[in-house]
Amino acid sequence: MGVAVVVGTAKGAAVLKSEDRKNWNEEFVLRGWPVTASARDEGRAYAAVNSPNFGVALFASDDDLTTWNQLDAAPRYRPEARGNPEHHRLVAKMDFEGKLKGGGRFVDQIWTLHPAHGALYAGVSEAGLFVTRDRGESWQPIDGFNEQPGRESWQPGFGGLGLHTILTDAKNPNRMWVGISAAGFFRTDDGGKTWSRKDDNVHSFGGNCVHHVAHDPENASVLFRQEHFGVYRSDDGGDSWRVMEDGLPVAEMSDGHRCSFGFPMIHDRKAGASFVVPLDGDNFRFPRGGQLAVYRSTDGRSWHPLTNGLPSNCFAGVLRGSMAGDQQGGIYFGTTAGTIYASRDLGESWQEIASDLPRIMSVEAYVT
Amino acid sequence: VSVRVQLPPLLRHVMGGERWLEADGSSVAAVLTDLGRRHPPLALHFFDEQGQVRHNIVCIHDGTLVRAREAAVHQLRAGDELVLTNALAGG
Repeated sequence: MGVAVVVGTAKGAAVLKSEDRKNWNEEFVLRGWPVTASARDEGRAYAAVNSPNFGVALFASDDDLTTWNQLDAAPRYRPEARGNPEHHRLVAKMDFEGKLKGGGRFVDQIWTLHPAHGALYAGVSEAGLFVTRDRGESWQPIDGFNEQPGRESWQPGFGGLGLHTILTDAKNPNRMWVGISAAGFFRTDDGGKTWSRKDDNVHSFGGNCVHHVAHDPENASVLFRQEHFGVYRSDDGGDSWRVMEDGLPVAEMSDGHRCSFGFPMIHDRKAGASFVVPLDGDNFRFPRGGQLAVYRSTDGRSWHPLTNGLPSNCFAGVLRGSMAGDQQGGIYFGTTAGTIYASRDLGESWQEIASDLPRIMSVEAYVT
Repeated sequence: VSVRVQLPPLLRHVMGGERWLEADGSSVAAVLTDLGRRHPPLALHFFDEQGQVRHNIVCIHDGTLVRAREAAVHQLRAGDELVLTNALAGG
């Protein structure tokens, strides 16, 4: 079985390919572009890039991930769309000539790409949701989400208002979830026309800073959530949440709350297993004591550490989009220090498969 | 007027490795508009959602630095060459 792993970094994408998931070939493509997200759908792979100088765009590959051509279109807000003042304040350091003073809303990054139901969805910052139904040739804003009342008062996370998580229900195309740092977690049950917040019982501090949420699309209402303030589970599509931290390391957070901090949360639907990478609280943001560890839950209640093959002197982080599974037992993640680790056995053992890459921003894995 | 534009390295990848492109326009903004019309992927990189030249784009024309805010008024002559780049950042 062949696997390809697309690793988006701050200066291009590493494409790692293997036929046996032991020996890997590496090619570095899209050189110079920050690659913030990728996806594959119906034989086409997509890579989202952004540049502080030249904006946001999408590249597509219709071959074996070797040749990438830029698409003519990308998600863009309408000229009349108004921006969130706090997001503007956070991104203003790159606004050398004051375009934000006009109050407009701009797509400054694609955080996630999500194929579902014959469409490809894009989550962006300033937070919004877009869709293409023609393989990226044109993009439409989902106005029911993007123009909902109250967005002007959403509280951005440290990186701005990023819509970084999109989940869909394989059995119900009208149901979808999105997560935004730090505006919270939202659900629609009418195909995107109306949305409601799904953050009950989740600890917050000036806004619900959801970091990542994962599930099995075939059993969509069981959700696993890595929040800034802890790990949670919902069995009712997000209507209610309960803490799920048995076995996880907890740390004191900035507001004194004790919980398990981290960014990625992924779910292997075939194995029914969830994975997180705990960091030592929001003050330190690296693995406790330097021991890089993945934690796995196979029963949906408790977590167990997996460290075989992982370094004990790691002081890098793992970003929310930088972990993925191939649904065949393969789990892959990358660090902010540019190292990729892979496991063929659901995390029981790990192998370093690439290093010395730029800061890793996104990881996706595909069976080829 | 017809001019030649040298693309920055990052955008050459978009154009299959091409370094120089031909374009028409009597101002920098007009040239960028024409390039975007001829090569649609480039338009995303030159103009933001409100149709403004991206604020960090600069051109070098006859040894003069032309910033985005001057793009609409800086005049060009037939045969001129523009070096398209971005404002320096970092230390």
